[in-house]
Amino acid sequence: MPRRADFRPFAARGRRPILAILLTFAVFSTLSVISSISATKRSQHRASVVEVAARQRTLAERYVKEILLARTGARVDPHYTASVLAQSARALLNGGTAPPVYGDDDETKLSAAKGAELRAQLEQEQRLVVDMTATGNALLSHGSVAAVPLTAHERLKLRDPILRLRVLAALTSNVSLNAARTLARSTDRNISQLIVLQTVLGAAGLLASLLLGWALMLATRRQTAHFRSLVTSSTDLVLVLGADGCRYVSRSVTEMVDRAEAELLGRGFEALLHSDDRAAVESAALHGSPPEIVFRVLNAAGEWRHLEAHVTDLRQERWVRGVVLNARDVTERIKLEEQLTHQAFHDNLTGLPNRALFRDRLDQALARAKRSRELVAVLLVDLDGFKQVNDSLGHDAGDRLLREVAQRFRHIVRESDTVARFGGDEFALLLEYVTQDDVFALARRLLDGVARPVVIAGRDVSLGASIGIVLDSGSGHSEELVRDADVAMYAAKDAGRNRYEIFCPEMAKKAGELLGIENELRLGLQRGEFSLHYQPEVELATNRIVGAEALLRWQSPTRGSVPPARFIPIAESTGLILQLGEFVLREACLQAAEWRRAGLVPDSFVTWVNVSARQLTGGTLGTVVREALDAASLPPSLLGLEVTETAVVEDGLAGERARAELKKLHGLGVRIAIDDFGTGFSSLGQLRHFPIDMIKVDGSFVQGTVDDPKDAAITAHLVNLAHALGLVAVAEGIESEGQLDSLQDFGCDLGQGFLFARPMPAEQINELLAAAGPELANPDSAVA
Amino acid sequence: MRRLSSWLGRLTLVVLPVLFLVGCAETGTVSRAPNTLVRISERDFRIVVEPGRIPAGEVELVVRNQGPDTHELIMVRSNGSQQPPLRRDGLTVDEEALHEVGAVEGVNPPGVRRVRLHLAPGRYELFCNMAGHFMAGMHGELVVD
Repeated sequence: MPRRADFRPFAARGRRPILAILLTFAVFSTLSVISSISATKRSQHRASVVEVAARQRTLAERYVKEILLARTGARVDPHYTASVLAQSARALLNGGTAPPVYGDDDETKLSAAKGAELRAQLEQEQRLVVDMTATGNALLSHGSVAAVPLTAHERLKLRDPILRLRVLAALTSNVSLNAARTLARSTDRNISQLIVLQTVLGAAGLLASLLLGWALMLATRRQTAHFRSLVTSSTDLVLVLGADGCRYVSRSVTEMVDRAEAELLGRGFEALLHSDDRAAVESAALHGSPPEIVFRVLNAAGEWRHLEAHVTDLRQERWVRGVVLNARDVTERIKLEEQLTHQAFHDNLTGLPNRALFRDRLDQALARAKRSRELVAVLLVDLDGFKQVNDSLGHDAGDRLLREVAQRFRHIVRESDTVARFGGDEFALLLEYVTQDDVFALARRLLDGVARPVVIAGRDVSLGASIGIVLDSGSGHSEELVRDADVAMYAAKDAGRNRYEIFCPEMAKKAGELLGIENELRLGLQRGEFSLHYQPEVELATNRIVGAEALLRWQSPTRGSVPPARFIPIAESTGLILQLGEFVLREACLQAAEWRRAGLVPDSFVTWVNVSARQLTGGTLGTVVREALDAASLPPSLLGLEVTETAVVEDGLAGERARAELKKLHGLGVRIAIDDFGTGFSSLGQLRHFPIDMIKVDGSFVQGTVDDPKDAAITAHLVNLAHALGLVAVAEGIESEGQLDSLQDFGCDLGQGFLFARPMPAEQINELLAAAGPELANPDSAVA
Repeated sequence: MRRLSSWLGRLTLVVLPVLFLVGCAETGTVSRAPNTLVRISERDFRIVVEPGRIPAGEVELVVRNQGPDTHELIMVRSNGSQQPPLRRDGLTVDEEALHEVGAVEGVNPPGVRRVRLHLAPGRYELFCNMAGHFMAGMHGELVVD
């Protein structure tokens, strides 16, 4: 890359032209001085020569006068004059010392004459001096003047010796004068040359200086342009502040605030500063510190822009004399930070404070309450029936419902109260400076607010709410209060929902127990404390065992044998039911395969497993069943699943998902039974569309068949219904012969109950089956 | 640049007419060229005129000083064999008493001067009138027929 192409805005571009200008001045000045000195010296010398040359003329005339005076006997010395004339003529021609003339002047040192013209004249002068002095001597000695030889080509035809001498003196004088003039002309030429030289030098120096100055100006302009473009094109905002206000703003500043530069200079910029930030900016302008400041400026659109500036103190800098702010517009970043902060402490869906902010406000409220001894109330609200709305109308509808509830809660509470959403359908409220009655009144208003129908997807949706309340006067911790409110809320749910309960210590005890059971359930699953018992299903017509229902049992090392009614609801609520259900399916399949391999059961023997609603809607049941069947190499038709009536007929997405799952499994060959049939509220007509093989009449009806005509009628009706739908009817809970007789009368197909066998471990079933023998089983009488 | 162009324009307007006039003057001089050229050589201390006899009319004298001293040339009508009158210094010719036909002031060697004259028939005396030069022999004659 050529150097010129390099972008070097910070290079000292002016240094070279300045140096060149100085050098040019130095060179031309030196040349000028040298030539002037030289010319002056030459002129001085020539002046001496001219003086001597001119003196020759006077001496020649003086010589003639002295000769004439000497002839009259006067005391003159023409020889001396002749000697001076001759010496001077020699000195003029060849260099040397020209003697003084009787003290008129000093000796004059001369250098040899230069130039052909001058030398010819001086040689002629020398010859004429010789001729003249020879003629003068002849006159003094009264000799023949005409006989004096002439050496300078004179052609004198004069007889008068004095006139002859005068002519020679005139010739000498003339040539001396002309030699002096030649010298003078030479000096004039030198002076002219000097003038020309000085003029040329001056002009050349001036021209060079102008060119270099122009180059310097261009370089400076280019550099200024570079810096200007750097500053103006930079997105950074540059301001120079001084004691008299703003002195400079870059174009980016005017663009940012959308105002003219004139509006910002002077005190204009300060007027646009946020009042809270003005002191910091003024301090920076006066003291050049702190090194970093953040301030706000109002733009033309009325929007506050946040600037983060680096402060550089250049007050002592000669060309700045101010404090420079290199700033960046960080408005977007600060907005984002505020947004992130808001998001971190608020719920996105409703805009309400989230759990973290609620806890923070609760901590502050408790601190205040501790000082004031006023009451703080925490209300935890869980919407009843929200899950059904979400499942049946979709999540969008659920979200709209939550937003509406949040809006209503906000209107119900005071401005100073906090309404938060903890997630899902759970809300929390924080109230300060209240009485218990105030809180109860508010809880009622909340229940009313929730109960008011909301129109969603063209349907009126009405919900209930379970509210747990805890009151504290500053002695508790926020975590404890929320937990206690949660306990109270569950107590409200247990008490029938759509109500409020205030926390009391007994609730905590019960909740603690529940929590203990949950932990033990988890541990029990890991430790293998769960096992399966099996209760045979008997064909009533033949009294043969055609199947067995697997029932989960928990032998806790601390609690002993825990009845399913005690731990199943907890497993359901905590989600542990999924792992337990998987365990049951796996174990039951393995056991059924074991019976089959042992030849203890007929080929159509069906092992039944209970499946909870949560398993049905969990989305993994199909996979779990297939894996269990594969692991045990059990044909699907030998496994039956018992599901509750409500799980199958449930509306909405969950119900559809459950039915779809059952349809798939039924298609695979797995048997499906409706458990506890008759206790639900399903439309009987719906059963036609369900993929089921068998219905199990609830034991509560079966046990009344002997003594209660209504129960007997219902049981008979249910058996008939099953048959009408082409399903097998199974009676649960048969405990007496009378009940068995009735059921046989009703035409019930299968039975199950203590009359035949209690649920028992697999080993005992093995014995029972072995005693009965496989031949007891009738393939055709089993579930078809 | 605009200012420079303006200056060049003005200079052109001044220079072109001057060049035109100079050209015309040269042409006029050439049209009156003399018929006779007389070379006059001066040196210390003699004057040589070549040719010494010329026809009357336009004459151009080319005076060459061969030095070493400075010389001049005065041309007067000759009055025969009589010596021209001298001034009272006895060293120079009294030019005012003569009819001067032409003159070349002091010429430094090796200078050349040209002078154009219209010469009528007659004899003409040529001399250098610097002090003593005429007396030292610096004179010559030109005969015009």
